[in-house]
Amino acid sequence: MQPAIISVNHLHKHFKIYKHHRGALGALCNLFTREATTVRAVDGVSFTIQPGELVGYIGPNGAGKSTTLKMLTGLLTPTGGEIEVNGRVPWKQRRAHVAHIGAVFGQRTTLWWDLPVIESLDLLQYIYKIPPAQFQHNLDEFRTMLELDPFLNTPVRSLSLGQRMRADLCAALLHDPPLLFLDEPTIGLDVVAKERIRQFILHINRARGVTVILTTHDLADVEKLCERVMIIDYGRVLFDGRLESLRDRFGGQRELVVDMAEEYATVDVDGATVAAREATRVTYQFERNALSASDLIGRVSARYRIRDLMVREPNIEDTVRRIYEERLLDEE
Amino acid sequence: MNPLKYSANRLQNQDLKLFWHLIQLGFQQQFSYRAANLAGLMTNFFFGLLRASVMIALYAARTDVAGMSLQDAVTFTAFSQAIIAYLSLFNWWRVMLAVYSGEIASELLKPTNYFTFWLAQDIGRAIAHFLTRGLTIMAAYALFFKITVPQTVGQWLALAVTLVLSLLVSFGWRFLINLTAFWTPDARGIGRIAFGLSWFLSGFMMPLRFFPDWFVRLCHLTPFPAMVNTLLEVYLGLLEGRALLGALAQQVLWVIALFALCQLVMRAGVRKLVIQGG
Amino acid sequence: MYRRLVGANMRGQMQYRVAFLLDLVGTGIGTAAAFGTLALILQRFENIAGWTLAEIALLYGLVETAFGLMDMIFSGFDPGTFGQQVRRGTFDQMLLRPLGLTLQVFGSDFALRRLARIFQGAAVLGYALIAAGIRWTLLKVLFIPVVLASLVCFFGALFIVGATITFWTVESIEVVNIFTYGGVEMMSYPMEVYHPWLRRFFTFIIPGIFVNYYPALYLLDRPDPLHMPAFAPLLAPVVGGGMLLAALAFWNFGIRYYQSTGT
Repeated sequence: MQPAIISVNHLHKHFKIYKHHRGALGALCNLFTREATTVRAVDGVSFTIQPGELVGYIGPNGAGKSTTLKMLTGLLTPTGGEIEVNGRVPWKQRRAHVAHIGAVFGQRTTLWWDLPVIESLDLLQYIYKIPPAQFQHNLDEFRTMLELDPFLNTPVRSLSLGQRMRADLCAALLHDPPLLFLDEPTIGLDVVAKERIRQFILHINRARGVTVILTTHDLADVEKLCERVMIIDYGRVLFDGRLESLRDRFGGQRELVVDMAEEYATVDVDGATVAAREATRVTYQFERNALSASDLIGRVSARYRIRDLMVREPNIEDTVRRIYEERLLDEE
Repeated sequence: MNPLKYSANRLQNQDLKLFWHLIQLGFQQQFSYRAANLAGLMTNFFFGLLRASVMIALYAARTDVAGMSLQDAVTFTAFSQAIIAYLSLFNWWRVMLAVYSGEIASELLKPTNYFTFWLAQDIGRAIAHFLTRGLTIMAAYALFFKITVPQTVGQWLALAVTLVLSLLVSFGWRFLINLTAFWTPDARGIGRIAFGLSWFLSGFMMPLRFFPDWFVRLCHLTPFPAMVNTLLEVYLGLLEGRALLGALAQQVLWVIALFALCQLVMRAGVRKLVIQGG
Repeated sequence: MYRRLVGANMRGQMQYRVAFLLDLVGTGIGTAAAFGTLALILQRFENIAGWTLAEIALLYGLVETAFGLMDMIFSGFDPGTFGQQVRRGTFDQMLLRPLGLTLQVFGSDFALRRLARIFQGAAVLGYALIAAGIRWTLLKVLFIPVVLASLVCFFGALFIVGATITFWTVESIEVVNIFTYGGVEMMSYPMEVYHPWLRRFFTFIIPGIFVNYYPALYLLDRPDPLHMPAFAPLLAPVVGGGMLLAALAFWNFGIRYYQSTGT
């Protein structure tokens, strides 16, 4: 096994929130009294990530996602624990560290607001000291893939959100970082733009072997991109594993939708419940652990004539929502 | 009763109610900027101290300059610092911001004259600033210097009238400057020039009577003295009888002229907005 | 690298040509308002505390020119805009680049519009140098750029401190403005005009008196009414440089604080 590209060990980040008194007199009070409550934004997180992985880091608002990401990128110093990224400690060797990562933080742009996109990219060539040949090669590739040409000479402030995200992705990768951090890369984009961004992320992960860590609210991102998912809440990692195993354990009931050849008076089958019935279409629900889909199909077709059928997996969104809401992972 | 006349009356009542409501709105808004107001108060006061110091040094051994004693002159610096917020002498970009953000479209749809809509809110704002920034600065000054205060009922009455008129002149002029936003994306730059001019020509920096005559005559070609200088001279009791009435009449004329101009320019601006779709 | 960053910033500004011209005119009127008022008033009053118009013009011209220069060079640190950058996360983007932070903040803005203020200040300063009856020596000629540089450092230090404070709180920016803009206003006049405790504040706490007033006394060969040691004018570069170094140390401390708390 190769050495991990990221290793995180018992990471903690605590914030002190000072109670603020209101008003002019209150402002004076604030100077003297310091009633603090400690918030454990990240509370003992450990994981390792291997080169080439594409990991989704998800959790509800305030779960500690972006705090973790900020520590991984060197923006924040941890309260306790260890991080090593590319063999470096991010907050101790900030400049060397950021020279070897790429990062795109959601709605903020790294580009120069009033300058045409191409000028910002040129500037990055000097900031990251990218050899001209490598710069040109990367720029040519990303231009085509991200279709930057139509707005390469437009000032960043006049770009649409989707265009800006494409330009930012290009900017984050020009210096060939082995590691890319994406914070909400598809937020606020329309369906087509989202799909384009996802295709690109997949491409740089597969073709260039870039390790990608992304946080997102859009679980479709996770479903389409990530093999590995980490769920974080209350500052702790609640789940870390493959997407399928998340489904297996918490996916709950699967559904079998059957179009019968004719309308039957009763359509009951052992091991499944009828969730919905509409003319000849019947929807069964069944536990994935108790009964396999083929067994159920066998049982149904033994009793009734079937014209068509379809197995429906619960989508990741429902699964994760259940985990958050029912706190299924709290015990572990 | 004539039904037509009756409905006209009722409409006026509703308009007045709306006007009063908008004043309250503008008044309350000021209290959500407490920190900014406190900082503004401190800045105004500190600059006032510096100005008073310079004034005292200027007077040196003199007891009277152009009818003003040293105490009057120091009071001048106090009062002119106290009315900065009341008259919004340094900036006011509300209409410009509404034009640039596009909010103006929905604001224009409201069943009230756009000019009146902002006038009411500005009156509310001014009342709030008069209390929080005006009176407090005068009071703070009184701790450090001997301050001139109007002596007679007549003086106080004249002061009340000119306070209102000054605000109206100032508002008309500020509104006009803001309207340039309909035609150019650089309204703020134009506005800065306009505000800078007003400090120079209004008698805000120094009493106009300290200046050479030719300069004073130049100033009186503009609305600026009606904004600040008249107010200051009335407060200090420097105007009496005819001179007082004349100064107030001038203010009234400037109010009428500026308000009419605002309506005309606004109509042209709105027409441009409607035709070009913003 | 600094030149590249500044170049990029300037190219961005070039898109606002009209705004630039308007600023030039606006600043012109501002200067005319401040200095013109003084000039007109002095026709009646003749002098302030024994200082003639040309002599005050020396104080005013030095401060204005230097503040304009500072405002251009240090505009990345302008507490108001820097505070916005911290809140909007633009400062985080700087942390993500493999360059020194101080360099990046310096490079993030180079406000060409301040040229207007510099020109006006320089014009007033030029008038003073000609009209104030300075008895020129080589030392005095060499001293003028030193004074300007000291003033730039002095005000730059105030800007950096103001910017650093925004790591802790946004609301205190306006208080810093009292020291910067208030300092400019105050230093435009001879110090004996002010109340002793105000003077003491600008001598011992924020030692602005050494970067403008004392150098002007020296250039004009005026006696010192405040009876400071005779070497007081020479303190200008020491005070300016010292304040800047102290401010940079505070700035580095602020960055470490920021990295441990974020926003």
